[in-house]
Amino acid sequence: MASVTIEQVRKQYGAVPVIQDVSIDIDDGEFVTLVGPSGCGKSTLLRMLAGLEDISGGEIRIGGRVVNDIAPKERDIAMVFQSYALYPHMTVAENMGFALKLKGQDKAAIQNRVKEAADILALGPLLDRLPRQLSGGQRQRVAMGRAIVRHPQVFLFDEPLSNLDAKLRVTMRAEIKDLHQRLKTTTVYVTHDQIEAMTMADRIVVMRGGVVEQIGRPLDLYDRPVNTFVATFIGSPAMNLFNGSIVDGRFVTDDGKALPLPPGYSGGAARTYGIRPEHLAIAESGIPVTVGVVEPTGAETHLVVKLGALDTTLVIRDRVDVRPGQSVAIAPDLAKIHLFSAQGARLN
Amino acid sequence: MSDIAISTPQAQMTRTHSAVGSLRIVQTACILVIALVIVSPLFMLLIASLKDDRFQILADMGSFRAFWVSDPTFANFAEVGNFSGELAFGRYLLNSLIILALTVGSGLIVNSMAGFVLAWGSVRGRALILSLVIALYVIPQESIIMPLVIMVSRAGMTDTFAVQIVPWIASPLYIFLFYQFFAQLPKELVEAAQIDGASIFRIYRSIFLPLSLPALATVSILMGIESWNQYLWPILVTQTDYARPIAVAIATFFGQDSIYWDRAMAASVLMMLPILALYLAFQRWFVSSFVGSAVKG
Repeated sequence: MASVTIEQVRKQYGAVPVIQDVSIDIDDGEFVTLVGPSGCGKSTLLRMLAGLEDISGGEIRIGGRVVNDIAPKERDIAMVFQSYALYPHMTVAENMGFALKLKGQDKAAIQNRVKEAADILALGPLLDRLPRQLSGGQRQRVAMGRAIVRHPQVFLFDEPLSNLDAKLRVTMRAEIKDLHQRLKTTTVYVTHDQIEAMTMADRIVVMRGGVVEQIGRPLDLYDRPVNTFVATFIGSPAMNLFNGSIVDGRFVTDDGKALPLPPGYSGGAARTYGIRPEHLAIAESGIPVTVGVVEPTGAETHLVVKLGALDTTLVIRDRVDVRPGQSVAIAPDLAKIHLFSAQGARLN
Repeated sequence: MSDIAISTPQAQMTRTHSAVGSLRIVQTACILVIALVIVSPLFMLLIASLKDDRFQILADMGSFRAFWVSDPTFANFAEVGNFSGELAFGRYLLNSLIILALTVGSGLIVNSMAGFVLAWGSVRGRALILSLVIALYVIPQESIIMPLVIMVSRAGMTDTFAVQIVPWIASPLYIFLFYQFFAQLPKELVEAAQIDGASIFRIYRSIFLPLSLPALATVSILMGIESWNQYLWPILVTQTDYARPIAVAIATFFGQDSIYWDRAMAASVLMMLPILALYLAFQRWFVSSFVGSAVKG
């Protein structure tokens, strides 16, 4: 296990910057998720950490050792790829033992380490099979097995669950988290799925356009996003945002709807008002809206209502008897209101 | 009464089925004709090799009798076996096999390595090298053959096995074929192997080479046929029969005064057998390679 330090790291393809002065400190044994939309640079950063991409500037340290110019095999890392990248002509056992064979370990030692990893991942009965004889989930476990037999200092995961169906993704998510809790190996995990990031990580790094937008624990990001991008990227359904300005102690949206402010808020620069769907409730008195769409999911009901011209989402935990077209009143939880500046930065 | 014919979906479907059926019949007939054109000379060769009268063979050519033998005999094969040139016929066969095995064996290693490095190695000017490889491929072998003869003659290589092997090991066609095959394999395989600690040679040997059986089979067959059928080059670079291949030996049946059609036909059949065996051995991968390259575009 080892800490990982990424300091002022940059990456350029010609004149095009793809990673700009990114700095992240990852503690020994920590599970950190890099999350962001496609093209934000998260996979590039992971590949730079692995040594598969050169870095244009800055410094990467693994366990205190600068690894900028060190080959991937000497970084003591293991990586799980989105496509699994299993060697198609090798059996599961050969795939898992290949790195150890290259290190010159004897057959008995390789067998022991492969068996140990196979026991952890319940791969014992599959050791003699070829990758093409395995299901998606089994292949994913073999890819993880190949990583853990090496006892690396750092695990790197590059969107490892993207090729699995929704149900299997949930199962594998739990397996990876369980594996991390057992092995306590420092892990950097790339995903574009914010649910994966929220459920698995000790800390999340939200990226956009090659820049880190926010680093923090999942609930900190959820409760106190530093800007409107993080506010809408983290959380599903996304936070409702309304543009407008503060007039006479209330936030008035661009189409004239008045929204209450948090108690004691005195700043006047707010230009965007944010409220998460579960922090809006149907009330006897409040902001009048018209129900547009009703989506019962079983555990909760999602309502899309029209607040002026804007679609606004509510998540109601209890069963609710409303129909499309019905007029209702909604009220925000005043303690959970987010206010942002014209540039999108958090104000409260 | 109305003249309008009502076309039901069932009637339309029946017409479609019958159109598809007619098309299939035409397609099958065309394939049969093409197959007949390709196979008939081989069949004629086999039939002629079983006739022991060389004048009869000549007389039968041009008629359907060329495809029929009423009194088959293996005497021609026995005569070829007792062939009394400078060397026994079997020795020419062995020469050809040695040349084929060493050319194909070395060719697979050299061309696949070059293709792999071009596909995955850190090569400066890769695009330029690839265009040079393709440019070399379009130059006909005959146009460089005389300078090549002078070169090998100056190097004192004439009348050896080496002179019939070394110049034909590296081939732009096979380098390009391997390059294309390796380039389509996923990049993650290389990266996973790099992280596992494999060197570039180890990635080639342990990961890419075992995955390239279809390409290896294709190149083996194409190189094998090319090497087996070499005629002009051995004639130019050998003065004695010591290292001469079977294709040159067969030419001795076509004498100045008379042509021994019966023995020439039997020898040709014998010459065909090893290359046919090579094809049959690698056919599965050979076909899958061609089909693979077709469907993957």
